[in-house]
Amino acid sequence: MILPGNATVTEPTSITALPAAPLHALEIWANPAKVAARVQKALGFALPAMNHSAANAAITLLRFEPTVWLAEGDVSVLADTLGDDGALTAIGGGIVRFRIAGPGWRELLLEGGVFDTSAAALPVGATAATVIDHVGVRLHVESDDACIAYVPSSYAQSLHHFWDEALSLIGA
Amino acid sequence: MSGPARAPSGDETIPFTFDGTAYRARPGDTLAAALLANGVGLVARSFKYHRPRGIMSAGIEEPNALVTVGTGGRTEPNTRATDVFVYPGLVAKSQNRWPSLSFDVAAIFGLAAPALGAGFYYKTFFGPAKHWMRYEGFIRRAAGLGDAPTEADPDNFSQVAGFCDVLVVGSGPAGLKAALEAAEAGNRVFLVEQDAVPGGSLLRDPDSGLDPAAMIQRIEALGGKVLLRTTASGYWDHNFLTLTQRLVEPGAVPTNGFAQRLWHVRAGRVVLATGLIERPVPFAGNDLPGVMLSQAVRSYIRRWGVVPGQRVVIATNNDDAYLTAAAIIEAGAQVVALLDARASGPAAPAGVTVYHDARPAGATGRKHGLRKVTAVIGGSEQSFDADLLAMSGGFVPVSHLHMQAGGKLVWDEAAQAFIPGETPQVCETIGSAISPPPAPAVAPAGKAKKSFVDFQNDVSLADIDLAWQEGYRSVEHLKRYTTLGMATDQGKTSNMVALARLAEKQGVTVPQAGLTTFRPPFTPVTMGLLAGAGARNAGAHVRRIPLHALHEAHDPIWQPLGYWFRPRAYPVNGENLAQAALREAQTVRTVAGLSDVSTLGKFEVSGPDAAKLLELVCATTVGKLATGRGRYTFMLREDGFVFDDGTVWRLAEDRYLLTSSTGGADRMAGHLSYVRQVLRPDLKCSVVNVQEHYAGIALAGPRARSILAALTGAEPPRHMGYAPGTLAGTPVHVLAASYSGERAFEIHVEASHAEQVWQAIEDATRAEGGAPYGLEAMELLRIEKGHVVVGGEVDGRSTPHDLGLGGMLGKAGGFVGAAGLTRPALSAAGRNNFVGLVSLDGPIPEGGMLITRAGTSPQGHVTAAARRILEGGAIALALLQDGHKRHGEELTVSSPTRGEKARVRVTSPHFYDPAGERYRD
Repeated sequence: MILPGNATVTEPTSITALPAAPLHALEIWANPAKVAARVQKALGFALPAMNHSAANAAITLLRFEPTVWLAEGDVSVLADTLGDDGALTAIGGGIVRFRIAGPGWRELLLEGGVFDTSAAALPVGATAATVIDHVGVRLHVESDDACIAYVPSSYAQSLHHFWDEALSLIGA
Repeated sequence: MSGPARAPSGDETIPFTFDGTAYRARPGDTLAAALLANGVGLVARSFKYHRPRGIMSAGIEEPNALVTVGTGGRTEPNTRATDVFVYPGLVAKSQNRWPSLSFDVAAIFGLAAPALGAGFYYKTFFGPAKHWMRYEGFIRRAAGLGDAPTEADPDNFSQVAGFCDVLVVGSGPAGLKAALEAAEAGNRVFLVEQDAVPGGSLLRDPDSGLDPAAMIQRIEALGGKVLLRTTASGYWDHNFLTLTQRLVEPGAVPTNGFAQRLWHVRAGRVVLATGLIERPVPFAGNDLPGVMLSQAVRSYIRRWGVVPGQRVVIATNNDDAYLTAAAIIEAGAQVVALLDARASGPAAPAGVTVYHDARPAGATGRKHGLRKVTAVIGGSEQSFDADLLAMSGGFVPVSHLHMQAGGKLVWDEAAQAFIPGETPQVCETIGSAISPPPAPAVAPAGKAKKSFVDFQNDVSLADIDLAWQEGYRSVEHLKRYTTLGMATDQGKTSNMVALARLAEKQGVTVPQAGLTTFRPPFTPVTMGLLAGAGARNAGAHVRRIPLHALHEAHDPIWQPLGYWFRPRAYPVNGENLAQAALREAQTVRTVAGLSDVSTLGKFEVSGPDAAKLLELVCATTVGKLATGRGRYTFMLREDGFVFDDGTVWRLAEDRYLLTSSTGGADRMAGHLSYVRQVLRPDLKCSVVNVQEHYAGIALAGPRARSILAALTGAEPPRHMGYAPGTLAGTPVHVLAASYSGERAFEIHVEASHAEQVWQAIEDATRAEGGAPYGLEAMELLRIEKGHVVVGGEVDGRSTPHDLGLGGMLGKAGGFVGAAGLTRPALSAAGRNNFVGLVSLDGPIPEGGMLITRAGTSPQGHVTAAARRILEGGAIALALLQDGHKRHGEELTVSSPTRGEKARVRVTSPHFYDPAGERYRD
């Protein structure tokens, strides 16, 4: 666990590249309230607000932009709700998902980072679009012990290397 | 016995060397403490006169004891001996001396000091530039600090973000109390201390009521973060501070590879408990080894058990130095005299003779300490045999961060110092930095020429006087003329003494004389730390294409392209780059080749208004494009100049794919966002960057069509047609587009499935006698075909008309840049037009200037040069004034920097299949 202040973290923090998953950009350009109602009816949950996420067993929606959500999972039901008010575009081929797990994940994401990863600022379920060591990264706090980082494929290997090296600094 | 010393205790366990001599230090020793403990008082030579210099202070303000620490790539020059803690194997060297520190030939400059005063360079080294070329080498050798390392630094540097409610700078008594109080109030606290141990002045003057270690433990237990060996080096807007943290000492090998860390901290409130810096006293010889700041003497005695001298003269204008007298006596040394410039002072320790109205006037020295001190006491001179002089000319609050934060300084008459005043940020200064002890102004005694003010730059009172005589009235001019307050210490010990002298000359008060500005960093910062993890890759991560590993197996020559790396050529059988590229290009012309084009910018635009958006972005007509068709397009800036080009494809009724250049992809993403969000937020459409979602494979050549047909089991689309398909069991987009001039296709596939698709195409292409081709062959092919490239012919100054693309402009207008394009200057005569060049006598130098004859002004330049792929013969693309009207004209391409010339004839840029017949089946 993380002890306060300068205490050393003894448990390992891990970085794992996850298998490719269907990812889509969901953009809604018109009638947001009506679309939201249709989505809630179809998926059983409301469209998440900015910097929040929501999910059911088949799909997770993560909001990073005012009109755009990242949809992870089966979008077939979602596609039927959009009509002429929005569109889905596949983007999964360009994104590598990393699960950063363990007691030091919040501290690790401060390396090369620019924003506050403390539990108060980035609670479980929160999302964030940020820059880590000059790379645009999207984050989703999965649990107290893990965060999913969505990294552009072209940077995935070098950012993974960057995090691997930075692990030794946790607690330093 | 004389000079610095420390009684051995058995704890001297850490070996280190200084100038090749082996010594031992105790744990916790700074290099300065360890050298003094070993009797070494001479540690440096001064910047200009090569005067012998010792250790003056015990902190980061040290101006004299600059040494080079470490070896190889870890060499760190100009490190203060007072700011490096000794570790096993530390290698330290003195600098700016030859052949040795004890015998420095350049010390002869000291004899010529009267001629080398302020402004010497300005007065001497002027005249034609060629003279300076002669002076420069000599000056750089004679003067200077340490040498920069020639090897690359092997260590890593971290940059990390930090957030807190309260940031406290300084762990002295005030800082510790403030940090603990804030932590106990439930705040997130950062406490920053540049020393290796907390305590600040408590390490010198312990207080039984304050236990730094216990207070630190309590702060950490409450969740506070304590950063030792960390300097708050910059205070920026919005309570953003940069902290530089040493994870290992300079020159040491880090256990985890990281040497330093740069913190980017955003704090709700900042508390500056930065303390004071003691002010030196100006007198002749005040720079000699054996002249130290009074508090530093006390620190060496109390913290490190080092007695810097055995017979000590103390010179002061304040009460604090009396504490030093007590410490010296406690340590068993002798206070020969306490010279107090004031008429009265506190009670002195027993056995100390105090002289009032007394000031030091001069000192003479031996190698590691002083020999004699001369003082003016009540108007008459008196000499003392002494090996150490402890001086205290008052105190200067460390207000650097306060000033960096935009804070004002106010004058404290009693202390003769500026103290922090108002600040526009959420910041306060506490402790001694806001309430320095009284210390009256004292007129210096002794010769001005050898009374040093800025020790690091060899600036004396006489230099300030000279600058004044020569008309330099502003403190800013004084600084620049004399170099006062420059270099690594940035005037920490010199500023106030110099200001006082300037004010005296002007007949004004010190605040009326003015003050220079403190700027970041507070102490020197290594370049590696600023570069961070990007120090070895030009500041950014390399972008890997999806098929990087697959290409790697072919052992290609890699080409950096922006942040990307792409195969430049795939040499076989010992080919060089040119041979491989020519073979690959010839293969494309005669059989077929495949190339990785994954880095192209790609955007999916969908929705009922997708075409409207694209008609705004693209300068060509898009709206009439039928489903399953595409076309070449280009995009303009609002000023009418071309900034990118690509293709646009109608994939479905309300879904388009727009491609753009690799180098312009990020710029295009920003432009599309601007058009979508700012110009037309009302449009019902979505723009998604799919550059990395799709890998792209170009298949080109006379057999490309048949290869693709066999792989997909379907007739490929005709030129500029689109069809979805399946290849190697994978869904693909097939775009019939050609950059090479041959019948060609771009196959776009979801990146995670690209490898199997590439492999299938490569196998089939090789079976037909084809091969992969890289960027170099692609360049040969496009030059011969006469296609423009962004960054080459599209250089930000070209209009569609300049590039011969005017006929493709959308007739209805309305696109971004249409209005800008109507400006008369963009259609005036004399503009650079896109043309081809055919050589009449040899290779055409790329980048060469186009001239009519020798001695005339250039009329254009070569943007790209190549050779005809099958027939041979040099060709090139160029931008030439009024070039469209000059086909057939003969010119000279001249490259004076390479000494190359070629005679050329201006032609159409389309050297290969100008009618486009090879696109058609």
